[in-house]
Formats: sequence, C-alpha cells, structure tokens
Amino acid sequence: MGQHLPMTQPPPASPQPATTRILTVEDDERIRTAVRLALEEEGWEVSETASGEEALESFGTRGADVVLIDIMLPGIDGFEVCRSIRRLGDVPIVMVTARSDSHDVVAGLEAGADDYLRKPFDPKELSARIRALLRRSRPDETRPTRIEIGGLEILAEEGVVRHEGTDLHLTRTEFRLLVELATAEGRVLSREDLLEKVWGYDYFGDGRLVDVHVRRLRTKVEPDPANPRYVVTVRGMGYKLQA
Amino acid sequence: MPEPTTDPGRGADHPPSLGLGTRIAVLFAVGGLLVSLGIAGATMALTRRQLVEAREQTATVVAVSNATRLSNQLTPESTIEDLPTVVDSLTKVEGGQRIIRLGDDWLPAPELDHDDLPPDLVARLDARLGGRLVTEVRGAPHVVVGIPLSAFDADYYAVVDLAGITHTLDNLQYVLLGAGAATTVLAALLGSWASRRTLRPLRRVRGAAEAIAGGRLDTRLGPQSDPDLDRLSDSFNEMARALEARIHRDARFASDVSHELRSPLTTLMAGVGVLEARRDELSDRSQTALDLLVQDLERFNRLVNELLEISGYDAGVADLDLTEVNVAQFLSATVAGMDGIRLDLPRDGHGLVIEADKRRLARVMANLLDNARRYGGGATTVSLECGEELVIAVEDDGPGVPDTERTAIFDRFSRGSAGGRRGADGGTGLGLSLVVEDLRLHGGRAAVEDRPDGRPGARFTLRLPRPTPHDTTEDDGR
Repeated sequence: MGQHLPMTQPPPASPQPATTRILTVEDDERIRTAVRLALEEEGWEVSETASGEEALESFGTRGADVVLIDIMLPGIDGFEVCRSIRRLGDVPIVMVTARSDSHDVVAGLEAGADDYLRKPFDPKELSARIRALLRRSRPDETRPTRIEIGGLEILAEEGVVRHEGTDLHLTRTEFRLLVELATAEGRVLSREDLLEKVWGYDYFGDGRLVDVHVRRLRTKVEPDPANPRYVVTVRGMGYKLQA
Repeated sequence: MPEPTTDPGRGADHPPSLGLGTRIAVLFAVGGLLVSLGIAGATMALTRRQLVEAREQTATVVAVSNATRLSNQLTPESTIEDLPTVVDSLTKVEGGQRIIRLGDDWLPAPELDHDDLPPDLVARLDARLGGRLVTEVRGAPHVVVGIPLSAFDADYYAVVDLAGITHTLDNLQYVLLGAGAATTVLAALLGSWASRRTLRPLRRVRGAAEAIAGGRLDTRLGPQSDPDLDRLSDSFNEMARALEARIHRDARFASDVSHELRSPLTTLMAGVGVLEARRDELSDRSQTALDLLVQDLERFNRLVNELLEISGYDAGVADLDLTEVNVAQFLSATVAGMDGIRLDLPRDGHGLVIEADKRRLARVMANLLDNARRYGGGATTVSLECGEELVIAVEDDGPGVPDTERTAIFDRFSRGSAGGRRGADGGTGLGLSLVVEDLRLHGGRAAVEDRPDGRPGARFTLRLPRPTPHDTTEDDGR
C-alpha cells in the first residue's frame, strides 16, 4: 500500500564504532530466527528473546538501540513489556501486532510504542521503520538550537524541554514531534506532514500515530491536557503549536 | 386492510394469493353475511306464518259468525235479491269480500265472481263440508274461507286479501336486507381490525427477520402479550441465536485460519527477504525460482490479508479507524508517481475534509487502479465531484464492463468474462468485493458504469455521503 520508503543501501560493515543493537521479543522461534537473519543483513546486531521476562532482563543488563516487541506473548504481554521498557528509558520501540484489531494498535501506542507493524510484514518495511527511528534520534544541525514558545523552552541539541524552568521528560518521538511543531512557527501541520517529518512515512501512514503521540505529548507539556494551550488541534487541518 | 404479505419478487412460482389479513376480513364478512341471512330468513318465515295465521283466524272467526247470522236471517223463501240488504248488516273485515251461493244463484263480490273461487273448495262445499284455503285469486294471495249454510241450499265464502301482509313482509324484507348488508360491512371491518391486531406480532417477526437478513444478527423479538405468540417469539429468537452463533463460528474459523497463516507468512517473508538480499550469490536457476517465490508470496500475503478483512466484515467486527482525510490531497497522493492518469478535481474541492478510514480508502483506490491496470489497460482519469454526495470516479480506456456483469463483478472471487486472461500477475479475486464492503462501512456504495463521454471504457464510481459542514477552523495558518 505504498508505505515503502526510499531504500538506502545497508552498509556492509557499520562505520560507527558501536553497531546498532536491536532487541527482539518473539515467542515463535522460526519468526525470531528469520527476523534476526533479515536484520543482520542490514548490518545490525540482534539480541533475540522469547518472552517478556527474558526481554526485560536483557534490556536491563545490556540495553538496546531499538526494541521490537510482539504483542502476543506468553507470560507478560507485549503491552506490559512496552510499558516497562518505557519506564527504563526512551529507546525507540516498534510493536508487532498480529491482530487486525485496531484497538491493539492504539493500546500499543499508548503503552509507549513509537511505531507499529502488522504481521506478516515485509522485512524491508521493518528495516525502513527501524532506520527512520534511528535517524530521527540524531540531532539535525540545520534547525535553530533553542526555541521559546510561551512558557516552553526547547533545546534541540541537548534534547531538553523545560516548562517554566522545570525539565520535562519526553521520549525521542515526542521530542521530535514538539520540535517539528515548534519550527513550523505557528503554521498548522497536517497529520501527513508530521507522519513524514517525524516517522518518515508517506501520505498513507496511520494518522493515529500522530494523534496518540500528540495526546502523550500534551500530558507532559500542557498544564491542563484536557484543554491544551500549546499543542492545539485545528479541525480539518491538523495541529499547531501556539504561544 | 393490511398490505399483502406476498413477495412480488417470488410471484413467479406462486400465483399471487390473498394475504392472511385479507382472508380473515373476508371470512368475517362472509360469516356476517351468512348469519344475517339466516336471521333474516327465519324472521321472514316466522313473521309470514304468524301474520298469515292471524289473518286466517280472523277471517275464519268473522266468516263463521257472519255465516251464522246470515243463516239466521234467511228464510226458505229468500231469493238472491234479498241478500244484499242482509249482507250489508254483516261484519266487515279489511280487504275482505264475500260471495254467496243461494240455490243456483251467486251473489258476487264487488271485485270477484264465483268463477274466481278455488274449484277445490267449491267442490268441498258442494259436499257440504267447510274449508279454508290460502291461494292465488286473480294473481294475488288470498285466504278463502268457505262455509256451507246447512239449513239452506246456500254457501258462504269469505275471500280476504293477503296483499296487506305481503306489503308488510316486503317492507320487513328490505329492513332485514339492509340490516344484513350493514352486518356484513361491520363484520368485514371487525375482521380487518382483528386481523391487523392478530398480524401485528407477525409483522414484528417479519421486521426482525428482515433485520437479520440485512446483517443485524443480534436482532431479537421482545416478549409478546400472548402465550401462543410468546412461543413463536421464543422459537424465533432461538433460531436467530443459532444462526448468529453459526455465522460467527464460520467467520471466526476463516479469521482463525488466516491468523494461523500469518506466522508462517512472516517467517517466509523474512526468509525470502534474506535470499533476495543475497540474490547475487545465487545461480540463475535459483534466482528464477526465487523470483517465482517472491511473486507468489506477495499474492499469498495479499490473499490472507483480504480473507482476514472479509472474515471481519462477515463477523460484523470490521470497524473504522476514522481520521480527517482531505479528499483532494488524498487523491493527489494516490495517483502521485503514476504515469498517464489525469486527476480531475473540482475547483472548490481542495478544502474538503471527510472523516474516513484512510487505510481502507487507500486500499479501495489501490484495488480500483489495480483492476483498471489488469483489465482496462490502466486508469486514465481519477475525478472527484462534490454534489449531494461525493463521487470519486476511476475511468479507463479498456473494453468496459457489460451490463450483465456489473453486479457480479463485485462478488467474491468473480473475474467476469476477463477471468480467462488471468496471468502470473492475476489478482486475488477479492479486490472489488473489498471495495464494496469498505464503502459500505463508510456509508457509501460502489458501482461501475459507462464512461459519460461515450467512449469505450469502464467508469468505477465511489459514492460517499457528503460530510456535514463543521463550524470551522479557528485559524488557517497556511
């Protein structure tokens, strides 16, 4: 359905000193192995785990750059794994859902996932999602480094947001969303604009990614999230940040 | 009258018959008619008998007394000329006349002669016996009483006209007929009312059955006011429950199968992805085999996804993830990067935003464009019209779709007459049926028609309800 991103050829050997480490949680051994092989083709290091407990232990001891979580797990389910990892850090999380049930998607995003994929997925699509999450994790030099809007102070370089002097803790996706809205200087950004800028999707990306992340962002930056003052919805158009 | 319950669509095998309601009303009317006819007949007969008997008795009593008085006043010398003076003193009965024989002479009545007397009675009196007879005299019913005057060679006849009674009876007959007609009409009305009352629960059953047939499988009948009807509604609800359970089971089975296929498909896709990345390391033969694998895996994947979607519709669990969609932007993005497609947007349509499921709409468009590519040589125009509804149309330059296939083409696994052309890139056969279902979820509908410009080719149209205008944007900061 045209969700493919322009492919950049994977580097045969990573130029970075530390290879990107991906933690996967999947109880089906065949899928786990096949996904590992596909991710290793991209030059990434993969840690496989078969259960939520194992995944949390692995993440606690060795950390990861990206976490790939299957929702349907024996024991602790994917949502809980997602929430636990989210409490430990702002690592990008991709959730894999088997059900076509749309509640799963929203529940996963609300549990803290940054993006999601439906099974069965094209491994190229998976790599593209991971690359998009990694890419936006790195700072962008062309942007102003310090933005002030109302009581909000955004330091793009440092990844710091303060509200009236108090540090706010945002995930990287939330931070990136806020920066995109802030650099638009009061213009309205449509969901599609934000999907492209923050997640690297084309027009047909899922608008709920934006909606759920905006909701989460509001709980952190708004004094009263039910009546947003900064991140406002413009009906029929999208979102904008206002002072 | 309740509307006829026969389905005109099925009239071919069953000749149209009266509805149950009409039949009940007719039955009531016929019953009313028969009862009133019976009562009228009995009344007529009884009345007639009583009236006639009364008249006969009066006539007889008066005749006997008159005959006695006549006998007393006659002398053996009396001649027929003496009689009128005697007769004048006799008691008169309304409508009554008398004829008297004295010897060989007859004293006729003003309007009757002795020739009018019934011969039977005359014969009886000749034998010196009295008699009474109801008979026709000059074409009208009369009571004729004949009394022989035993002291003389004379007879006394009293002839009493029954026309008065006939007139009374005629009047009575009209009254009774009128009452009968009124009773019949009343009975018909009563029947119609009763049938409507009786059929009301049946109509509820019909409504519920239609709702179930229309897909609202959880429709049930409420409690009825009557124990007999309660049994009917219990049976109906039991049937509906069984049907719902069965349909859900079937749909769940299809859904479960598709779900089970997702895990191996994920493995297959990831594995094949690795092989594709290392394609250069493979021999030519292996590359060919890999290409086949990739193509069919893609189709298999689509098929499983579409079956999952369809089982979702069938189980009634398909729901919409509604977001705001700018229709013009959506269509532009849809045809972006596709060569040879003209996008025809109305000048005022650029701000048009609808609440829709973007993923489903995108699949609808992908399926229509795919269909046009497969069977119509590729889409030529994608257009949007905003009238009373939104009409999105996809046109191609192909052979078009014959009238006879325009409905069937949207059926599952239908490929129409173009089916034989299915090649290696053949579709799943589910695409257009998904289009219909997705449109239905959005409250719209899909159809195929001729191109309005008269050129050969198909025009697939998607009709969506126009959004209600909302109190707009506080700011259009673009």
